[in-house]
Amino acid sequence: MQRPADASGSDRGEPLPPGHRVGGWEVTGPIGAGGWATVHAGRRAADAPPDPAGGVAGDPPGEVALKVLPTGGLAPRQARAIAESARREVELARRAGHPRLIRLLDSFVLSEPGHPYLDGAIVLVMERAERSLRDRLATPVTAAEGARLITGIIEGLAHLHRSGWVHGDLKPDNVLLMRDGSVKLADFGLATELTGTHGTHGYAPPMGTLDYLPPERRRAPLGEHGIQVRPSADVWALGIVIHEVFAGGAPPFPGATAMARAAAAQEYAEGRAALRTDHAVPPFWRELATDCLAPTHESRAAHTAETLLHRITAARAAEDPEAPTAEGPPSAAQASPHPPVRPLHRRARAALLAGAAVCGAAVALWPHGARDAAPAAARAEASGSLRVFNAEQGCRNRTDRNPRCSLGLAIDPLKAYTPDNVVATRVWDGEVLAVDCLLPRGMPIVDESDAVSVEWFRVRLPGDAARPTAWLPAVRTKDRPAVPECPRPTPVN
Amino acid sequence: MSGVLIHLPRGSGDAVTLRLGPGESARFGRGSETIPVELRLVDAAISRLAGEIRVTDDHWQLSNHSTTQSYLVENPEGAGEYLRVPPRRAGAPIPFEFSRVVLPTRGEATVAFQVFAPDHVYLDPAATGGSWGSPTVTAYSLDETAIYFLVLVALCEPRLRDESPVAVPTTPEIVDRLAGLPGCAQLTARAVSSHIDYLADEKTRISAPAETGPGRGPRRNGKREALVGLALRFGLVREEHLALLPPRAGGGEGAAPGRRLGK
Repeated sequence: MQRPADASGSDRGEPLPPGHRVGGWEVTGPIGAGGWATVHAGRRAADAPPDPAGGVAGDPPGEVALKVLPTGGLAPRQARAIAESARREVELARRAGHPRLIRLLDSFVLSEPGHPYLDGAIVLVMERAERSLRDRLATPVTAAEGARLITGIIEGLAHLHRSGWVHGDLKPDNVLLMRDGSVKLADFGLATELTGTHGTHGYAPPMGTLDYLPPERRRAPLGEHGIQVRPSADVWALGIVIHEVFAGGAPPFPGATAMARAAAAQEYAEGRAALRTDHAVPPFWRELATDCLAPTHESRAAHTAETLLHRITAARAAEDPEAPTAEGPPSAAQASPHPPVRPLHRRARAALLAGAAVCGAAVALWPHGARDAAPAAARAEASGSLRVFNAEQGCRNRTDRNPRCSLGLAIDPLKAYTPDNVVATRVWDGEVLAVDCLLPRGMPIVDESDAVSVEWFRVRLPGDAARPTAWLPAVRTKDRPAVPECPRPTPVN
Repeated sequence: MSGVLIHLPRGSGDAVTLRLGPGESARFGRGSETIPVELRLVDAAISRLAGEIRVTDDHWQLSNHSTTQSYLVENPEGAGEYLRVPPRRAGAPIPFEFSRVVLPTRGEATVAFQVFAPDHVYLDPAATGGSWGSPTVTAYSLDETAIYFLVLVALCEPRLRDESPVAVPTTPEIVDRLAGLPGCAQLTARAVSSHIDYLADEKTRISAPAETGPGRGPRRNGKREALVGLALRFGLVREEHLALLPPRAGGGEGAAPGRRLGK
């Protein structure tokens, strides 16, 4: 039978020699090859203009990574797919820049008629990372280091999702560690902008990495625009990554090959096998990973990058007021050539959390005999009312009660805001709740816009006879009703 | 990923189609009250519990419970390629995407059923040859040496040659187009239709427009059009694959009938 000539020519993936010039940049050495691209270390060429027109604002660092996406020798349609992937990266960088995402400094198309392989190649110039999380996992990771790495990943993911994008290919290879130790997400070639009437999903080319694809993807139909992608796909991948970070790079599903592990994940999702996580994963992170690995999109939708971040913040504040934020200690942030965009804000938040936790500890020493006034108060008239506010733009002024936009109420405002501390009743943006009183110092809560508050309102739950009241974090409303201060609640349990 | 599909044609028993996910298994044999089987094969020479199929990873394993008989697993597209699974062999891995499991009987006729394993993964053709660590792959990978792929290339040919943005060949046209290829001489219209169904339902899981919409008529080709559109859009079939098809009768490569000189 006739076969086309083997097109997997050996020059594909061949690194460029050091000293090779691409645009205003000079190759200094190879970093790696994978997927459709080769990545090189590079620096600004000596005779290049100081700041390229169309470059991203800000001082380009001395060292950069040059991602070369060759299109030479490819069929037009294949070349278009690669161009499309590069377009996604550029678009995302332009619209959703963040300290937790690798910065794109420049992008251009090479014109090198002398090199058929390089001619027409797309080059993305990005800030240079020290190594990938995959490399880092080759050596053991302490619990504190793991927590810092994962918090950084979730911060990046929360920002992406808040900005209306899905990463689409989250894996340790695409999480980069900078020289100062900070964590950044990279490789947005499969990133998808959320569309649809409610911004709940987008469409991506039918690609991904087997070990990180959620089980529902394997049955997902291929439509005209590609395959439907939702943020819950990133949350699944995050669950795998959390496990890998603490288990020395081992994925949660057993099997010698990616195909075997994908089959094991499928078995788990269909309820024929239990999830067996490694004992090396600390309990808090195991619980988080397990929630990320909820078997269906529907069961996973409750766990967004935002809620996971809240849980981490709450747990950290509860455990160790001195714990550094994911940014690292302030001194490290200052030493970094690229300080985070909002260093003051970050430090302020850390200080606030620490202060709040100290207050909480002091409170815990108080005798717990104080009578809980809740049942009595429930019978009396409410003192005021407030309107629920959702900091997520897409969740405001909606009437459909989308579960993704629902907000929780705590059972005990002095305990970590975890799933077992949340009442069954959910509330949505715009809902008006009757308020009894204000608790000035409870568990600190950070909302999607990074606003922090330790204040809580005790609100009425009209439809819940068993539990007449619950606690709403003050960041969940813009109102400040004039209500009395709540008596210290009796710890639940 | 959807595991494997087992199809037992009518004749050796009732026609059955079973879908098994990873980790699931199905037993086959004559069956009885006390030995239930998922695939009932009606032949006196076959034991009550003749064997078992278990899905693992992206393939499946065959256990032969017979103490005397070997079973054959043929690759119907492999030009005679087959495996012999000896008596009492437990969990022999079967590497074929398409298999025909043949059990011997006393008479002339054999009892056979088909097993499809659509989950086989192929490396991305555009990949730059990085390490086989955790590569990003196309989720719908096709065996470019399979007959279904030839059918798909033939379906896409007019669009690839820019002859017509809309024309998708009919089944008889595909049969004619592929007739000259080794392995395709016996290809029937029915086989072509099954290959198209397999591509649409198992390999790509396209969400095709309704087959019986107004104006669609009896050709029922909404599925084909969707398949061609997606195969081209996502690069499953590319210009280079046209070389898999035999040269067109009477014309050079790429010459469209309407444009041929001297016609």
